[in-house]
Amino acid sequence: MKSRDKKLLIGGVIIALIIAVLAPFLASSNPDGLESTAEKVMPNPETEPAIESPLPDYTIPGFGKEGEVLALVVGTIVVLIIAYGISAALKAGK
Amino acid sequence: MHIPDGFIPISQCIIYWIIALVALYFSVRWASAKLEERQIPLFAVLAAGIFAIQAMNVPILWGTSGHMVGAALIAIIFASPWAAVLLLSIVLILQGLIFGDGGITALGANILNMGIIGGFVGYYLFKGTKSIGEIPAVFIAAWASIFLAAIACAIEMWIAGTFPLDKGLAMMGLYHAVIGIIEGVLTVVIVLAVQSARPDLFSFKDWGKEKAEVLSK
Repeated sequence: MKSRDKKLLIGGVIIALIIAVLAPFLASSNPDGLESTAEKVMPNPETEPAIESPLPDYTIPGFGKEGEVLALVVGTIVVLIIAYGISAALKAGK
Repeated sequence: MHIPDGFIPISQCIIYWIIALVALYFSVRWASAKLEERQIPLFAVLAAGIFAIQAMNVPILWGTSGHMVGAALIAIIFASPWAAVLLLSIVLILQGLIFGDGGITALGANILNMGIIGGFVGYYLFKGTKSIGEIPAVFIAAWASIFLAAIACAIEMWIAGTFPLDKGLAMMGLYHAVIGIIEGVLTVVIVLAVQSARPDLFSFKDWGKEKAEVLSK
């Protein structure tokens, strides 16, 4: 890999990880636009998920803020690896 | 605007799943024909960044919050709405499977709204308005990508019998008209940052041109 691509990857990942670490502390816990609308127009806006997710709502159950930071950091790295792998597998001119 | 499970009847979910799968097929075709090896690191870091920033909800008015989605950003950077469909699908699938953000049954609808509608509105509005100036065009495209995705979502919620049409459209439209401003500002900032860091991968000057045309100049 060229050095400027390495720089882009490392720089980009650092920015993404900073956001991931800060989000549990800075992000608003207010409902989003869809949830907010649902609360006002639906008699029962709380619905059950169809499957149990391992890290529900970006938390590690029982691990508080540290768990949220870890969930987002892990998620960011997993997305990076999967997006890299899929785009590398699909890319033009193979 | 990640739709959870239980908001859309399964019969309608299947229709959105089919739309999403057809779009995914075309986005895979786009990647195999157009995504160049040199673009892969940028594609991967933008996916990671969009995943992280989607967790950063910003408070708006009325006790509500919103976050950047990023479809217009990706469609503009890679000069293709299919890039946005592919990247947002990867993010939305992982959010749904691992983090319970957006229901698995509603995944097709979420890909339709945020990936397909967001990407196509972002791409074509940027393309259509860039003659007025690229920066305002990026802002308009990003704002509209959120606003129109929310309008589509409100209509889907009405078809599902979950929201009334008038209130759903009014509230979803109002909230996302404000959230769209966040999307617009951040999209402009990121587009300019990418252009200044890697003008070889994205620049307004060479936007939409094939690599061969750029190199031959």
